[in-house]
Amino acid sequence: MIHPQRRPFLALASAALTLSALSWSPLSMAQATDTIKFGLSMPLSGTQALFGADQVKAAQMGVADINAKGGVNGKPLEMILIDTQADPQLGINAAKRFVSVDKLPIFLTSWSAVVKAVAPIANREKVLELSVGANSPEIATLGDYVYTTFPLADVDVAALAQYSHTTMGKQNAAVMYINNDSGVEGANIYKTMFEKAGGKIVAFEAYDAKATDFTGALLKVKAANPEIIHIQGLITDLPQVIAQMRQLGITTRVSSYSAGYNPKVIEQLGAAAEGLIVTSLAPSVNDNPNVAGFINRWKTTENRIPNGLPYTQYLYDSPYIVAELYKWIAKNKLPATGENLRKALLAIKTFDLPMTGMLEVSADHRVKKPVYLLTVDKGAFVPLATIK
Amino acid sequence: MTLSILLQIVWTGLAISSYAVLFAMAFSLILKVVKIWNFAQAGFMGLVFYTLYVCLNILAWPMWAGVLLSFVVTGLAAIAFFRFGIETLRARHSSSLTFFILTLVVSQFMSYFFAMCFGTEPLTITKNIMSPVMLVGGIVVSHWDLQALGLTVLTVLFLFWVMHKTHVGQFMSAVADHPGLARLYGIDVNRIYLYTIALACLLMTVGMYLFGLKVAMLPNTPLQMMLLAVIATLLGGMGQVFGAAAAAVLLSLLQSLSVFVIPSEWQSLLIYAFLFMTILFFPEGFSWTALKSWFAWRRA
Repeated sequence: MIHPQRRPFLALASAALTLSALSWSPLSMAQATDTIKFGLSMPLSGTQALFGADQVKAAQMGVADINAKGGVNGKPLEMILIDTQADPQLGINAAKRFVSVDKLPIFLTSWSAVVKAVAPIANREKVLELSVGANSPEIATLGDYVYTTFPLADVDVAALAQYSHTTMGKQNAAVMYINNDSGVEGANIYKTMFEKAGGKIVAFEAYDAKATDFTGALLKVKAANPEIIHIQGLITDLPQVIAQMRQLGITTRVSSYSAGYNPKVIEQLGAAAEGLIVTSLAPSVNDNPNVAGFINRWKTTENRIPNGLPYTQYLYDSPYIVAELYKWIAKNKLPATGENLRKALLAIKTFDLPMTGMLEVSADHRVKKPVYLLTVDKGAFVPLATIK
Repeated sequence: MTLSILLQIVWTGLAISSYAVLFAMAFSLILKVVKIWNFAQAGFMGLVFYTLYVCLNILAWPMWAGVLLSFVVTGLAAIAFFRFGIETLRARHSSSLTFFILTLVVSQFMSYFFAMCFGTEPLTITKNIMSPVMLVGGIVVSHWDLQALGLTVLTVLFLFWVMHKTHVGQFMSAVADHPGLARLYGIDVNRIYLYTIALACLLMTVGMYLFGLKVAMLPNTPLQMMLLAVIATLLGGMGQVFGAAAAAVLLSLLQSLSVFVIPSEWQSLLIYAFLFMTILFFPEGFSWTALKSWFAWRRA
C-alpha cells in the first residue's frame, strides 16, 4: 500500500515522466522542425512512371538546391509526394490527402486527366493547384484555383501546325492520334490551326491506346496522300506507328509534339526517324547555360539524361515558383492559405526561373513561352526553328 | 478501298495473329488438360520477355541462347507454380474461385515485380524495331511477317504431332477426359501435367519472342493480351486447342478488317463485344452442339 504522503509525489513524478515522453514524440519533433510544405502528385508507378519518376527527381533537385541556399526565409522547403499512376481516381485520393490530412494550401500535379479530376477539390477547398507538364487546353477553364505553369497544347501544337503550312509550305496534312485526352485535344488543335493557316486536313485517324497494329489507319492515311503527317501519340506508341508507317512504304515527313522529343524514338527507329519534327517548350543548352549543368548533374547521378528533358526542366523550376509565392505572402504578412497563394501568383505574375527562363502567368490561367522546333538529322535531335 | 489495301490488311492481320494464336493455344492447352483458367500465364509471358531482354541486352548473348534460357526459366517457374500453388489448392479441395484468385494474384505480382526490376519504360528485345520489307504483288511483306507466320505454323504442326501422333498426346487426352480413370490405367498424371506445362511454355516462348521483336512491352502488357487468348479459348470451344487457334486468327482478322466499317480507335471494342456475346450465349464455350441447342431453344 502506498503511503498517503507519497501519493502527491508519485503523481507529480508521473506527470513529469509523461511530459518528457511527450517532448520526444513525433508531434513535438514536427513542430520543432518548421518547414514550408507543398504537395506533388505524380505517376511513380504504372505506364507513365517512365516520365513521372524523372520529373519527381527533378523537383527534388529543385527543392534541394533551394534549401542549400537557405530555403524560404530561412525555413526549409518540404515536398510531400504521392503516387497517382496518372490515374484520375488516385489523383483525387492524393488531392484529398493533401487537403484533409496534410492541410496543404498548395499542390502541384500533372497529366491532363488527373489535373481535371482534382480541380473540383482545389476549387471547393480553395487550395491552389498548379499543373506542371499537362497540356490539355481545358486546364485554362478548370476554375479559380487551377493554374498551369506549362504551356498548353494550343501553344506548341498550334505553332507547329502553322509552321508546317506557312514556313514549310505543306498544303495538306494528315493527323493520327491516340484515343485519349492528350491525343484528341492535341489533334483537334493541329487540325484547327492548320486549316486556319490555309491548309487542308486530308485524313484524321485515331487509334486505340492498346493497339499494336496500325495498318488499317496507316493505309487510310496513305490513300489520302498527305504532304506531312502529324502524330499526336505517346512515347509508348509513337515509334511503333512510325515503324509500321515506314514499312508500309509511307515516306512522308512526320511531326509530333513534345512527347516525341525522346532519344528512345531515335534508338528504336534508326534511319526511319530521320526528318522527324518535334516540339520542345523548354530552352536547350544553346538557349540557357543552366541546362548544360542540369544535364551533367543527371549524367553524374543517374548515368543518363532524363526522360522527357523539357518536362524535367519545368519540374525543377516548380519549387522555385512555390518558394516565390511563400516569400510574397510572408512579405505581406498574410497567412499561408490557398487564397493568399493565389493572390501571390497573380501579383507576382512573372517568374525568372533557372531552367525555363521567364514565365508569365496570365489572369486567363495560361502561360506563354517560345516554342522550340527540333528535327532528327543524322541520328540526333538538332534545332530547326524557334517560334516566339 | 482497293483490292491491294484489302490484301495488305489481311496479310498484316494474319502476321499479327501469330503470337495471339500461340498465347491462345497455351491458355487452352492448360485449361484442357490441367483444368484451370491459368491467368498466371500473363506473368509467365512477362518472364519469357524479360529473361530474353536480359540475355540479349545486358548479357549480350546470342538470340538462340536467350530464347533457350527463357524457355527453361519460364518452364521451371511454371512447374514450381503448379507444384506448390495449384497442387496445394487441389490437395485442400479448394473451390474454383480460389484457383482463379491465385492465378490472378500471381500474374499481378509478377507484373509489379517486373516493374520494380525493369521500370515501366517500354522495352523491346532488340534496340531497333525496324524489319526489312519487300513488295510481293503490291503487298508489303516484312521479314518479321515471314518469320512470325513460319514459326507459328511450325509450332502448331509440332503441337499437332505431339497431341495426335505420340503417346504423350494420347495420355494428355486421357487425363483431360478423366484424370482418375487415367491414373487407374497406369498413366502418371503428374508427369502428363509436366509435359503439358512444358508445351504451354514452348508456345509462350515462341509467342513472346515474336512479340518482343515487333512491339514495345510494358510490365502489364501481357495482362492485356490475355483477353484475346481467353475469348479465343471460349470461342474455339472449351478444350479445343486448335479451335482456340482458329478463333484467335479469326478475331485478329476481324479486328484488322473492321477498320473499313468502324473508326480505327474502336477496334479494341470488338474484342469486348465478342467477350460479352460469348459469355452471354456460350458460357461453356462455343461448340456446334451448343449452337444447335441454342437454335432449338429459340424455336421452342
